[in-house]
Amino acid sequence: MRPSQNDLDDEIRGHMALSIKERIERGEDPESARLAALKEFGNVTLTRDSMNAVWHHRWRESVEALGRDIRFAVRALLRAKGLAATVVVTLALGIGANAAIFSVVRGVLLRPLVNRDEDRLIYIRQSAPGVGAANLNFSVPEIIDIKSRATTVSAIGDFSTVDFALIGLGGEPRMVKAGVVGGSFFDVMGLRPVLGRLLGPQDDGPNAEGAAVLTNRFWTTSLNSDPTVVGKRIRLGQRSAVVVGVLEPSVPYPADTEIIANVVSSPHHLGATMVTSRTHRMTELFARLAPGATVEDARAELTAIHAGIVRDHPEAYVPKANTQLRVSKLREQIAAPARTILLVLLAAAAVVFVIACSNVANLILARSVRREGELAVRAALGAGQHALRRTLLAESLVLCGAGAALGILLAQPMVALVARYAARFSVRALEVRVDTSVLWVGVGLAMIAAVLLAYVPRLPSPCAPAGLGLASGGVRITPGTNRRLRIFATTQIAFSFVLLAGAGMLLATLVALQSARTGYDMRHVVAFDIPTPATGVGGAKVLDFYQRATERVSTLPGVTGAAVGSFVPWRDAGTFGPGIQFTVDGYKLADGEENPRARFRIAGPNFFSVLGVPLIAGRDFTNEDREGTELVSIVSQSVAQRLFPNGDAINRHMWWVDPYFGPKPAPRRIVGVVADVDDEQVLQRTAMTIYQPVRQIGLAGRLFVHTAGDPHSVMPEVARVIHELSSDQPVERGATLEDVRAEVLSPERVNAFVFSGFAGIALLIAVVGVAGVLAFSVSARTREFGVRLAVGAAPRHLLARVLSEGIVIAAIGIAAGAAGGYALARMAASVFDQVQLPGVLTVTVAAGVLIGAAVIASLMPATRASRVDVLQALRSE
Amino acid sequence: MAKQPEDRRLELLQGTLDMLILRTLQWGPQHGHGIGQAIRAQSDDLLKVETGSLYPALHRLVKREWLKAEWGVSEANQRAKFYRLTAAGKAQLSREQDRWSQLVDAIGRVMNPARAGKE
Repeated sequence: MRPSQNDLDDEIRGHMALSIKERIERGEDPESARLAALKEFGNVTLTRDSMNAVWHHRWRESVEALGRDIRFAVRALLRAKGLAATVVVTLALGIGANAAIFSVVRGVLLRPLVNRDEDRLIYIRQSAPGVGAANLNFSVPEIIDIKSRATTVSAIGDFSTVDFALIGLGGEPRMVKAGVVGGSFFDVMGLRPVLGRLLGPQDDGPNAEGAAVLTNRFWTTSLNSDPTVVGKRIRLGQRSAVVVGVLEPSVPYPADTEIIANVVSSPHHLGATMVTSRTHRMTELFARLAPGATVEDARAELTAIHAGIVRDHPEAYVPKANTQLRVSKLREQIAAPARTILLVLLAAAAVVFVIACSNVANLILARSVRREGELAVRAALGAGQHALRRTLLAESLVLCGAGAALGILLAQPMVALVARYAARFSVRALEVRVDTSVLWVGVGLAMIAAVLLAYVPRLPSPCAPAGLGLASGGVRITPGTNRRLRIFATTQIAFSFVLLAGAGMLLATLVALQSARTGYDMRHVVAFDIPTPATGVGGAKVLDFYQRATERVSTLPGVTGAAVGSFVPWRDAGTFGPGIQFTVDGYKLADGEENPRARFRIAGPNFFSVLGVPLIAGRDFTNEDREGTELVSIVSQSVAQRLFPNGDAINRHMWWVDPYFGPKPAPRRIVGVVADVDDEQVLQRTAMTIYQPVRQIGLAGRLFVHTAGDPHSVMPEVARVIHELSSDQPVERGATLEDVRAEVLSPERVNAFVFSGFAGIALLIAVVGVAGVLAFSVSARTREFGVRLAVGAAPRHLLARVLSEGIVIAAIGIAAGAAGGYALARMAASVFDQVQLPGVLTVTVAAGVLIGAAVIASLMPATRASRVDVLQALRSE
Repeated sequence: MAKQPEDRRLELLQGTLDMLILRTLQWGPQHGHGIGQAIRAQSDDLLKVETGSLYPALHRLVKREWLKAEWGVSEANQRAKFYRLTAAGKAQLSREQDRWSQLVDAIGRVMNPARAGKE
């Protein structure tokens, strides 16, 4: 039991009394007895302290000392508010950025899914890298083969996506994206309903009742979480279905749909093509691992099964396509697209943290040089190296603690921002919330920074004569300190350069994309989706509707033309698959050469003039190019040039060789040649494209309107006219081509924006860093400048001298950054597929910006150096 | 008072103070001053324990639970803290005594090899 302080005092007093009493009894007079007893006892305080020390733990003593030091540090820092504020804000930016990005990384890449036993849930994908198909999907015969042979998975669920016109549930008819699933899907996925029930085995097959489950997003956002929705009958295209339940909130994968229906709701899924064609692939596959099986087992078995299927059906798998099967955990599959971008962001945030730390290190170092006198006094009074370090540690703890607190506050809005950004790559980012992990990351980083910072300053050496430091109140920089200051400033410049060059590269890409010539009239063309209100072929009724709609819309005021088509540039990218093989009369394939491929597009009359694509030769489609008349087509210039080098494309014939277009070739006469456009990628490449008239195909689904004035004011009018013609015809997603391009480029824009943000923060910190180093160096060299001025140096020489110091720091930093960045990019290239190096222009601009920033940062200290008052400077020491 | 000449006084060997305290308390509870005096008297004034060492040592022994401290009144009617040997303290004392005699014996053999051989 630890005795109290009173107890100790009493004990010592008791001892004294006994000792005195004894001496008096031996005959000494009271006064000399008291003195003798005191003398015999020795140092009372020291004894008392050693008695106390017995009861103390060592660490406890250190903690108490640290507590004292922290109180002292807070007082000391309150006297240096400017420095403290700079340090805290700099650290807060570094810590906040890291904490925010880490939360998102954790939420998107590491957190488990809500699905039951989600680590047993796998995703199976078929791809054909040979023809550029990253996801080929599966056909029904393939699924049957896999199901019948696989033993490492206990159940397989299937999901395919179709569009339905949904009627019911109130409001106008609308197009919804729907998942069509078999009976095992929800059980395999391990999801639960929040209302009603999900689809089960009883809903499978062609004889079940039509049944649909609403997704949680659709139910909450479009139906206001209506609790009475279960049991309602809805129309889905030509069929009807009953709403049986609402799904719990979960990651919508593979597609973000409004509803999920059973097979019987989709006539397409019951058709012969779907059921029997091995190459009609539109289904995604999920599976649950069998008890005891691992992902590796499943991967080995399923790829072997797939190889067997490919062997058994050579007609369905072209060798060139190089069809492959991939198995991955569902969680990893969902996170995959965001992985690279998030890791890059994490690296950028780490770089910002390094820059922030080295800047803070600089400020602390400069401060400790100013404090050298104080530290020397402490050392002279007997403070050991540990005690001095503890003093410094206390100060950096206070600074970093404040920085972390502010950083965590900053992180909260940043998490929302980054999550919204990351949501473009992975739907999981939408569920990311600020949680305690932000706190732990912030605190951890602050601790790292605090310890690093405490070990940056040099302590007064116990051997060195302290007289100098004690005697003069002035600041002296040793060459070592000066070198350290410059190294930190150079580090900041180097890292900032890497970030700036990276951001510059993204900006350059964005500018190139945004200013690229597309071949379209971007400002005046409005595109609409006018999906056919039922899946299935359009037929004459739809074709007549197209014709009447374009005629009516063309007569609207402010409209100069209207046409139907099949493909909104960029927005519909990827939906028509890769190019389709075709040939033309008289074209001889070289040995081993494959048939050329071209994009297949459908166009109504006036399509090219409405979109602003020039007709180079021949004529446009007309309403007379219809069912029953001569088959015709229009080709892009690249097709004409490549296949008809003599310039005689017009009136020759082309035909598709893909079996999708029937077993017999149907030659089409080429009636026109149009300029090349690239409607898949914004940055135009030569894309061979062949157009066919809508009336000879039967489907379009997109409406293009060319306007004279403000395109946005025309949009409601177009929708009104079309609803007059057909009341349940959806008219959706009206946007000018410029809007479409902006929308398509928004990931690039956000990329560039986020990286520029990082680079901006880094640049700001680096400028503060360079300015700080020079300001400090100038203030410490006041005497030197005074002497120089006194012996006749012109002020502008001093100005130039300080400026050049700043530029040298920047130049060395840029060189180091360029070398390091290049090495880093080479290293990254071995891990990631696509690593680009910024162009020469970008690098030059980034370097220029940094040099400029360095000049600006050096300007203030430089002018101060040139304005040194000679007399005062010389008298100051 | 007859002061001992400085040259006669012996430095306490490192680590023996604890043993001396335990030994002194074998005859019953005693306060700090009494322990100091007892060691001095027992050693024929050759050993003098500094209070600066004695009191921290007493507290150390209490912390290790070899001693128990309680307040009492001294023979001179003075309030003082009395230290008493605990069971663990007794065991420790016998351990230290054994170790001490082994040490003395061993050092004796080294210092006086001839006599050690004769025995």
